[in-house]
Amino acid sequence: MFERFSDGARQAVAYAQENARRLGHGYIGTEHLLLGLLDQPQALAGRLLAEHGLAKADAERTVLALAGDGEEELDAEALTSIGIDLTAVRDRVEATFGAGALDRSARRRGRRADKPVTGHIPFTRRAKKSLELALRAAERLHHPYIGDGHLLLGLLDEGGGLAFRVIDGADIDVTRLRAELDAQIPKDVPA
Amino acid sequence: MSDTKQLATDASDRDPEVGLRAVRSLRGLIERLEELQVDNARQQNWSWQEIAGCLGVSRQAVHKKYAGSRNPLRRGK
Repeated sequence: MFERFSDGARQAVAYAQENARRLGHGYIGTEHLLLGLLDQPQALAGRLLAEHGLAKADAERTVLALAGDGEEELDAEALTSIGIDLTAVRDRVEATFGAGALDRSARRRGRRADKPVTGHIPFTRRAKKSLELALRAAERLHHPYIGDGHLLLGLLDEGGGLAFRVIDGADIDVTRLRAELDAQIPKDVPA
Repeated sequence: MSDTKQLATDASDRDPEVGLRAVRSLRGLIERLEELQVDNARQQNWSWQEIAGCLGVSRQAVHKKYAGSRNPLRRGK
C-alpha cells in the first residue's frame, strides 16, 4: 500500500512519527497522522484544515489534553463556576511562553525523557484502519495513488479516533470538508 | 454554554460536586503554572533558594519536587 503513497502522504507519515516521538508517545495514532497533515500547510489537506480554522497548535493542545500522558484535562466549566476564565488564563500564559505552554510542562518533558522513544514506532489499530480507509477513498475516487487528501478522508471515515475528536471538537463542518476533498484532490500525482 | 447548562450550573452552586471539581481543576492549573514559572526561573539562572523564597516554601521542598535526578530542570546548585 505504501508504494502507492505520494510524496505528500509519505511526508505526512514521517511527520506523524516525528510528532509521536516528540510528544513521547510510543505509538502512532490517528491524532499523530492529523498533526502530520497539519505540519504541511501548503499541501491540500493541511491547507483545507487551516481554512476550516484548525491550527496545529490548537490541535496539539487538544491531543495533549485528551491523551497527554495520563495527566488530567483542566475542567474549564468547573473553573468558570468560581469565576476563573481558563481561556483567558491560557491566552495570557501563551502570550508569554508560547503556544501550548500551559499544556506541556518541563516535568512532563522530563518524564518523557525517562522512557526515550527510539526506533520504529508502531501504528495503532485505528491509525492502520484510517490508512486502509484512505486507500478505499482513493479507489472510490478512481485515483491511482494515495495522497495527503486521501489520508484526511481516511481519518474522517475512521470517525472514532482522537483525530476525529480533534476535528469535531474544532467545530469543523465535516460534510463540507469531505466535499471539498472529493472535489479538490488531484486525479493523479502532480508531475 | 447552552442555556439549560447555565441554569443547571446556577441552580446547583451549593452542590459540593461543582465546588470540589472547581478546586480540583484549580489545583491542576496551579501545578501547571508552578512548573512553567519554576522552569522559567531556572532558565534565567535563579537558584532553588530564590525560587523557594518567591513561592514561600523551603528550598528543600522545591528542590525535591523539581530537581529529580532525571529532570531537565536540574542544573546543579
